[in-house]
Amino acid sequence: MKSLGSAILLVPQAASAGDLIDSPVKTNRLRPPGAVPEEIFTGKCIRCGRCVEVCPYKSIVPQDIKAGIHAGTPLIFAEKIPCYLCMKCVQVCPTGTLLKIGMEEVRMGLAVINRHTCVTWREETLCRTCYNVCPFKEKAIHLDRLRPVVDEKYCTGCGMCTHGCPITDKMGSKAINIEPLFASKSVQW
Amino acid sequence: MGLSRREFIKRTAALSAASYVGMHLPFSLEGKARAADADRWVRGSCRLCGVGCRVDLGIKNGKAVALRGVPESRTNLGYVCMKGMLFYKILGHPERLTKPLYRSTKTDKFKEISWDQALDIAAKQFADSVRKHGSDSVAYYGSGQALTEETYLFQKIMRGGLQTNNVEGNPRLCMASAVGGYLTSFGADEPIGGYADIDQASCFFIIGSNMAEAHPVVFRRVMKRKLDNPNAVKIINVDPRISPTSRIADMHLQFKPGTDLAILNAMAYVILEEKLYDEEFISNYSTFRQSKKVEVDFDTYRKFISDYSPENAAETCGGNITADNIRQAARWFAKSNGTVSMWTMGINQRKRGVWANNLIHNLHILTGQLLKPGADSLSLTGQPNACGGVREGGGLCHILPGHRLVKKEKLRNQVELAWGIPKGRIPPKPGYHTMAMFSAINAGKIKAIWVHCTSPAQSLPNADLYRKGMKREDVFIVTTDIFPTKTTELANLVLPTAFHFEKTGVYGCTERRSQITPKAVDPPAGARPEVWIVREWALRLARELNDPVIKKCVEPFIGKEESFDLPKAIWDEYSQKLTKGRDNDLRGATYDVLMKMADGVQWPAPTEEFALTGGTVKKFVRGMDPMADSEARDDKPYQFYGPAHPDRKLWIWLRPQQGPAETPDAEYPFYLSTGRIIDHWHTTSMTGRIPELMRANPYAFVEINPKDAAKLGIKPGDMVEVKSRRGTNVLPAKIYEGPIQGMVFVYWHDMFEDRMINRVTKDAYDPGSKEPEFKICACRIRKVSGPKPLKPYIVS
Repeated sequence: MKSLGSAILLVPQAASAGDLIDSPVKTNRLRPPGAVPEEIFTGKCIRCGRCVEVCPYKSIVPQDIKAGIHAGTPLIFAEKIPCYLCMKCVQVCPTGTLLKIGMEEVRMGLAVINRHTCVTWREETLCRTCYNVCPFKEKAIHLDRLRPVVDEKYCTGCGMCTHGCPITDKMGSKAINIEPLFASKSVQW
Repeated sequence: MGLSRREFIKRTAALSAASYVGMHLPFSLEGKARAADADRWVRGSCRLCGVGCRVDLGIKNGKAVALRGVPESRTNLGYVCMKGMLFYKILGHPERLTKPLYRSTKTDKFKEISWDQALDIAAKQFADSVRKHGSDSVAYYGSGQALTEETYLFQKIMRGGLQTNNVEGNPRLCMASAVGGYLTSFGADEPIGGYADIDQASCFFIIGSNMAEAHPVVFRRVMKRKLDNPNAVKIINVDPRISPTSRIADMHLQFKPGTDLAILNAMAYVILEEKLYDEEFISNYSTFRQSKKVEVDFDTYRKFISDYSPENAAETCGGNITADNIRQAARWFAKSNGTVSMWTMGINQRKRGVWANNLIHNLHILTGQLLKPGADSLSLTGQPNACGGVREGGGLCHILPGHRLVKKEKLRNQVELAWGIPKGRIPPKPGYHTMAMFSAINAGKIKAIWVHCTSPAQSLPNADLYRKGMKREDVFIVTTDIFPTKTTELANLVLPTAFHFEKTGVYGCTERRSQITPKAVDPPAGARPEVWIVREWALRLARELNDPVIKKCVEPFIGKEESFDLPKAIWDEYSQKLTKGRDNDLRGATYDVLMKMADGVQWPAPTEEFALTGGTVKKFVRGMDPMADSEARDDKPYQFYGPAHPDRKLWIWLRPQQGPAETPDAEYPFYLSTGRIIDHWHTTSMTGRIPELMRANPYAFVEINPKDAAKLGIKPGDMVEVKSRRGTNVLPAKIYEGPIQGMVFVYWHDMFEDRMINRVTKDAYDPGSKEPEFKICACRIRKVSGPKPLKPYIVS
């Protein structure tokens, strides 16, 4: 049984062409602050790893070989280590793949509350962790009758709320998640 | 980045719709699905803060699996906070202590020993100390989280058995000034009304409290009252820091720390100036006092208060305080149909905490905003049993059970008679108060101390100074706890105890309400309930010291089964014999009654029949409070029968403004204040071990006003040194329009040495209540480096 298991592991998985070019950006999988649209990100990023190196929180993780053409590009796993918006990465990016923007201008995505798993929205308990940890408290997340509400005008998509959220449902997703809205924007070459 | 707003909103809408589609079950079904996870539910109280929420613990296969609020409960109406929903994870936590641990010297490693050995060692050490250095060389330092039965039994052994009043507890660090305030203003400890007043109030005066985070379930009630009547209900928040509580306020008074007494006196000035006082109430029920002995008249008070015109106060207080907003606050306070004041540590943890309490009560007495529905001066408690166990059960150095003062011989004799021990057995001199107790340890005067269910190594102000004493080899430290803490690190003997719901006992919350929590699951093998530990220890002490009186103290409890019968016997003795005729009469609140009630009983409750109605909602009111009828001296509707005021009046105090013990100067230019965050509780020995809570707030940080941060070049996340004359912390910065300019704010929960803010705070204390001034000291801050990844820390 044991040998069979390791044998399976040794056989390289056949990767379809789709896997190799599909963007790794999805719910809670975000590009660092100031990223250019996802369509051109992989073309512009030279995989120098400076943003990964400079990130004091180890939030930015370089993609490994399994990511196909995206290998080496930076990604943030919001529920694991969110972006703390220290804005160091945008300063060191040599290619402008991460544009030099200010903390408030960051739009990595948008926090979306799942009102059916959020315990406060379900009226099961009083939790306001997302509100508490939000770096733009009262702006990006405010409380409406003690229930958290996200304002898309201010939310940077840093993921601190996702990381802090004490609820994890059976599918492994939090009650507040970051949807990478801006990454899907079309651009003209 | 250049997405148009319209496009954006479109996408957002699509996304929220998607999140609706993603759900599996409709609400009602899902609720049932969750409930079905448990085989049975056992009703008890929440283990954490002082609100006293009732919860059901869900049990499956003998293990705790869930918690939910009890909708029939008058304290929380079914709501709980995140901490309250998750503390079941502590039962059966893998890091629980399960074996007694011992080391003869504090530099050794702990080794596991048996319970017999452990109790022998504890008895021998205390007996040796008493024999060699006298009774006052031993001490007990307890907790507002211990069950009433535990505190009562501990103090009985210490006082009746070992003949020392060195009985203290951590409520000295949080509640002592409120006790002092109630006793000096109303003549009786604990609030007159309770949470029920919140639902009828039309003005809330919240001062020195971030109840949105520290008491979230009561705050929900305040919020509901406000939202149901957005125009009729006014909320005034007085705090040098803008907190989540401030955000619902109609008016937030932000002032320079330590000038709170001036604001309160200025409000009284306006009440006099604009004749907003209730003349009839004042003449019927109150007197004016300069000191305990010196009674003065209204004109003297008027003259005293003339120094505190709103204009003067605005100058003293700084911040956003203007004469106009003080006037407005006073009008709202006085003219409303019912005003409820609420405060916590911002008022109590002050050099003049008792005075600050008096001044709040003054406003209520002057305006008659007391005793009627929707009006109360309500001090919120921080711990679940600080009121019930420690204030009522005799857990402080100067009080005996049933609100009796140690120094009164008649009251001592009552207790001796009830215990059946010789007259004069309880020493007449009060023991060391907390700060004196730990100073005595530093000085080597205390040779053996029992620290129960609390962690002074982290929670005392200027902690390094007192930890030095606790490290002394000639001080034998016994700790009873469920987890390793900063204090068990300094102990010689660590005894593992049963947790909440693993033993039976009573908690008394903020509003004079006693509630029972029965045993629901077995403690981890090896951990024992404290009442058993104390009984066995006392029997050994009696043998060691050859003193039959010590045995007499536990005689009624010998042979009782430890999880229910033993605490029941202790509660019966305490409630039937020691609260009889006292203002906290609990004779009706027997275990039978408490087990029947969804939400316990509010004292005074002299009979079971009355207790079954829920007890006394308003103290001192005839027709509502049975003691107001039985103790009545005239036919007035209010009877102030409290033990501290023989004249049966409410006292309006002349208390001048006084600043903190330490104010900023050129060397230390910032005020430092400390506080709490919603996801954690106290020293995080419990909440830190719940991954969901720890991940939300893994470490402490320092809140800095954006203007100060800009001046000092501090950016969000930078590591900042916070240094005072006593100690240094290095914490990540949070730049936040919270603290007033010139003030920084740090959460005190973190166990990591560099982020343990009580190493920096000051140990000055109120001369009346002996409560330390945690909330204000002077510090300086500087950036030491850019952001650094930090790890949460927990003693293991």
